[in-house]
Amino acid sequence: MSLSRRDFLKLSTFFAASAALSSCAPIYQRLAGGLPVTAWTEMDAADFLALNRLTFGPRMEERAHFAEIGLQNYIEEQLDFDSIDDFACDLRLSTFKTLRMDANELEAISNELFENYDRETVPNELRQATFLRQLYSKRQLYEVMVEFWNDHFNIFVEKEACFILKTVDDREVIRKHALGSFRDLVWASAHSPAMLVYLDNQANVKGTPNENYARELMELHTLGVDGGYTQNDVMELARCLTGWSVKEHFWLGEFTFRAQEHESGAKNVLGLAIPEAGQGEAEQVIERLATHPSTARFIAAKLARRFLADDPPREIVEKAAQVFIQTQGDIKSVLRVILLDGLPLAQPKFKRPLNFVLSAARALNVETDGEAFYQPLARMGQLPFSWPTPDGYPDHSDAWMGNLMPRWQFALELARVEMKNTRLNLFRLLDKVSTGRLEDDADALASLLLGAALPRSTRDDLLAAVTDAGASAEETLQVFAASIIASPAFQWR
Amino acid sequence: MKLSNSQPTWLPRLSFAPLNTAPRGDTLVVIFLRGAADVLNMVVPHGEENYYQLRPTLGVPRPDDSKKKKDEKVVDLDGFFGFHPSLSPLMDAWREKQLAIIHACGAPDESHSHFKSMELMERGVNDERGPASGWIGRHLASLDTGNVSPLRAVGMGTRPQRSLSGSVPVSALRSIADFHLGGNPLAVQQMRAALELVYQSDAMGQETLRIMDTLAKLDPLNYQSANPQSTAYPASDFGLALKQTAMLIKAEVGLEVSAIDLGGWDTHFTQGVASGLMPNLMKDLAEGLAAFHADMRDHMDRLTAVTMSEFGRRAYENGSLGTDHGHGSMMMVLGGNVRGGQVHGAWPGLGEGQLIEPGDLAVTTDYRDVLSEILAKRLNNPATDLVFPDYEVKAVDVMV
Repeated sequence: MSLSRRDFLKLSTFFAASAALSSCAPIYQRLAGGLPVTAWTEMDAADFLALNRLTFGPRMEERAHFAEIGLQNYIEEQLDFDSIDDFACDLRLSTFKTLRMDANELEAISNELFENYDRETVPNELRQATFLRQLYSKRQLYEVMVEFWNDHFNIFVEKEACFILKTVDDREVIRKHALGSFRDLVWASAHSPAMLVYLDNQANVKGTPNENYARELMELHTLGVDGGYTQNDVMELARCLTGWSVKEHFWLGEFTFRAQEHESGAKNVLGLAIPEAGQGEAEQVIERLATHPSTARFIAAKLARRFLADDPPREIVEKAAQVFIQTQGDIKSVLRVILLDGLPLAQPKFKRPLNFVLSAARALNVETDGEAFYQPLARMGQLPFSWPTPDGYPDHSDAWMGNLMPRWQFALELARVEMKNTRLNLFRLLDKVSTGRLEDDADALASLLLGAALPRSTRDDLLAAVTDAGASAEETLQVFAASIIASPAFQWR
Repeated sequence: MKLSNSQPTWLPRLSFAPLNTAPRGDTLVVIFLRGAADVLNMVVPHGEENYYQLRPTLGVPRPDDSKKKKDEKVVDLDGFFGFHPSLSPLMDAWREKQLAIIHACGAPDESHSHFKSMELMERGVNDERGPASGWIGRHLASLDTGNVSPLRAVGMGTRPQRSLSGSVPVSALRSIADFHLGGNPLAVQQMRAALELVYQSDAMGQETLRIMDTLAKLDPLNYQSANPQSTAYPASDFGLALKQTAMLIKAEVGLEVSAIDLGGWDTHFTQGVASGLMPNLMKDLAEGLAAFHADMRDHMDRLTAVTMSEFGRRAYENGSLGTDHGHGSMMMVLGGNVRGGQVHGAWPGLGEGQLIEPGDLAVTTDYRDVLSEILAKRLNNPATDLVFPDYEVKAVDVMV
């Protein structure tokens, strides 16, 4: 390509201008570019619902891509998450040093003078990173599954040393195995110091058993409350788990088995005779639990509830459970059944707070460092890693349907760009599709947020409600967007 | 597609049809003293010599101790028990028989763990096997009062208390000022009009808008108690929570339950006798309740407030001028239909053989007996077996 001198001059001024502009942009944006603005098409309700389950709310370019390749290919692409280039998101996280630290390092940076601990920095960095991944990662299904397992293996960061240990658990247990094998996942969780601290297994020692972890391992992590175990099984598993603990001084925060605290003698769990084998006793039970038919049904039902409906179709759950059994808990295989067979049968679910804020921010290409989202999320009831009990944030619509006020407040603050370090530009967003008419821009915004434009009369009523002589076109469009985000329709996915 | 969302598949399902339908009863205010309050220094058994033996330094002097000033010794209640002097603001309610005490009251759990005991108590269960929802949540779910207000149950603070969790939505409220749309007045006005439109066929949305308007007219900073000459609300989070509860009740926004926390009771070190750490907490508690009582005088007939704590503290003082985790606790019930002016419950005593290992006040009344009576007699909810599953309620006769 040859350039005339005039072209070159034009280009160089363009580059100079853009360089000057981008010098104030964060490094990830200079390296990876901003969020893409593309044209998109309207989606029918079923496709929009499907994409809303596979992601934390579809972005415009994801819609375009989905329309091009179809549901099945989209799912396969997302399941093969390793092949998805996520450079731009990784760059955003490059300054989050605690994500890569082991427990010893995390303890060191949290330890202040006089035995005081900074209990905020480490969990807040984890919260922020989690939020940014959910917002910006292209591996959306993977992040959806990370959230699922973080609920399933819930750990409350305010419990004792969990404020540092959860960062390790998130990396080494949840993220490592989120789309791998359930057996590896539950195995890693059982050996995770964060889990053992959270569910008091450090206190589970010879002579004074503590059943907390043993119970939840069966009730919440594997078999389910109706999974066919008895109180005696809980007590026997607790005996197997005596001595499973966490190192305290050197190599602090690492898993350890304290043989001297382990209760000797044979045990019997779920009819399985377990000869004395120290650490191997509980491991033998974990192998059994991980592939137990009750576990298959329990996990399949829970996944179906997350992806399909509060009361998922029984035949889908049963088929997914069979695949779980056949594949010894291969998570991708189970998901394929739930998504491919199940999504056409999916029912609306009320968005949990994280899903609500993320779907708005993703649809509108919001640029943020995430910090301004903590407070609204806390008021809506879902600040990540802050659910105290081991059952995780509820996944039933009912649990979330009451607290509308903080959602309305968030909608207005977001659309009017009043949140700290948070930017969005509605005009730039509609760049590729705008005709310059307010009505068309309103249709485009509604389509972005709800899948398709509103019926004309609804749109006109809403525009009339938000139009005021004293407001600019941009302000009017902002309140229009806010009212859609706050509307009943946007609360459901 | 319609924004107001009237398609049948988009309607909320009732996952749990309430068993009972009844008009709403009293507004219930549940105050949780977090950290295990040292109840033996709140309602002092001054008539028992063992108390002074066990607490040579921390014991609050007898009411008749002539060497002590009035604000350094117990305020007698019935000849055997008496208030710590910091609780004396409660004397008006006590004399008017609108305040009852249930001593040696608590939960069966003996874990001595704050985390576990609070969780079990807020869930209202015997052990971890019980339902994961909270006792107030199950109360709300088992009684249909025809009330769709988002403020039917409110947790004062940044997130709803565990006791409120369940299938009925609840709100967390740091302050009444939180319940409004902020920013540019013109944009707020437009947003208000848009919400009216998109929520036109949604009962909860309509109710939320109505409450938003009602609360916008309130002015928390210049609030006047109905009895301004009486004790003022303390300028603490606790005082603010009670004041805002009073405002919500008077504004008639559908408040049925308000849950309030008062933390800081884990007094292992230098808890103070007449003054200091714990007396300051008691002062906050007593002044708040006294101000609430004075302010709500005209509403007392429809109001019940109850205090609870996850467990009590060791009967004998420790080596750091504090007290360690114990067992038996105490509850107070304030309201217009309380058998007040008396200390209820059997007193197990502090003598050898009366304390339970390793030196704790025994529990003679289960906290669920008190709460069940409040629910059944004052909140029109007979389904206490659903609220407290696997628990057989015993009468304490503390409510009219």
